[in-house]
Amino acid sequence: MVKILFADQSYIVRKGFTSLLEHFNEVETVLTVAGKEECREAVQSLAPHIVFINTSFFTSTEMNEFKGMMPDNTHILYLFNSVLPDESPANQLSIFESKASLIDKIHQVIQKLNTSKNTSESQELSPREKLILKHVALGHTNKAIGELLFISSHTVISHRKNITRKLGIKTVSGLTVYAILNNLIQMEDIS
Amino acid sequence: MVDVVHEDIQLLAVIQRLNIPLGFKEKTVNEICEQHEVDLLFFLQLCNSYHDKEYLPADQFHEFPVDWIIDYLRNAHRCYIHFRIPAIEQQIVMLEKENQGNVKNIELLLNFFREYIREFSGHIDREETDVFPYILSLANSLQQQDVSQEFVNHFDDYSIDKYLEEHNLIEEKLFDLKNILLKYLPPPVDDCKYNNLLFDLFRLESDLMDHSDLEEKVLFPRVRNMEIKMKHLQNRH
Repeated sequence: MVKILFADQSYIVRKGFTSLLEHFNEVETVLTVAGKEECREAVQSLAPHIVFINTSFFTSTEMNEFKGMMPDNTHILYLFNSVLPDESPANQLSIFESKASLIDKIHQVIQKLNTSKNTSESQELSPREKLILKHVALGHTNKAIGELLFISSHTVISHRKNITRKLGIKTVSGLTVYAILNNLIQMEDIS
Repeated sequence: MVDVVHEDIQLLAVIQRLNIPLGFKEKTVNEICEQHEVDLLFFLQLCNSYHDKEYLPADQFHEFPVDWIIDYLRNAHRCYIHFRIPAIEQQIVMLEKENQGNVKNIELLLNFFREYIREFSGHIDREETDVFPYILSLANSLQQQDVSQEFVNHFDDYSIDKYLEEHNLIEEKLFDLKNILLKYLPPPVDDCKYNNLLFDLFRLESDLMDHSDLEEKVLFPRVRNMEIKMKHLQNRH
């Protein structure tokens, strides 16, 4: 899920972008800030994936400092209070731009974020996946696991796909061996 | 002929499954094939598809009689059941004996592998006792242009697609075993033996892939064609 920090002095621009960002399902939080100090605090407490910042928000020295405070891999989009030429790069937005063009640019950044996240995703099992694996190893069906954990069997299947992808183990008996080797279950648990 | 083996030692398996003995002297592939009554083209196609995983000319294989293919597959089965798999099992047993520390783990592995052997043997048994006789009987009837009594008695309601449903991916367990050994088992005492086991598993897996490719992409589609012809034949009578 994507966290966004939006820095602009104008109330109406902040409100407008907040409503625009609601179009994206991937966006989890949008934090808007109007002041410099507020903005510096927010970037550290929120650790945003994307920062929208108006080019008149900071002076250029302040902007350089601010960039140093951002987490690595944060994407910055610059918002201009003027009309941009056609060839302006994808990380520059204008308050005069059409809705379609804004959505398109924001969409591209979010896409990029998702793909880079996937490649660096950890291959370790999450606690949830370990729990599911434990039940699979004990021989429970997808349906039974779903009922036990209050999730749909569809969700169980998608967890199982991820487990198989991460471990490189496809069969139930293979998963059972893994679970015993890693002390998720005991030999005595299976009969 | 000896150059073929020098080029790819794995092809020795093909040569052995065609019942061609070693001791090639300076004879050419053609001469050896003639001497042992193996069709030259058949030999070459098998070697090429075994050597190059991407290469499997189903059309070309359709030219050969099914009993050649089945003979070859049967010989391969024998090699797996009587030699390759027991050898791997033996290696795991040896690891169990020598590794005092994690006997439990090796035992787990051994159980897993024995389960695999059971499934695998079951799979081969079905092929040997049902599928292959069915195909041969089908081929025989078609050749005679007459539905043999034997076929009617045993296989009238049989079809290759019925069997194919059971032809589940037997390789999956082997794949898992490899990953468990490589990724999750605590490092063994004797690396050399452990590695040897891994080499054997990888070789067996690659061999089995070729084997099931030959069945699924060459033999079974062909049988489906034969079944259609058989239907026509039965309708005529």
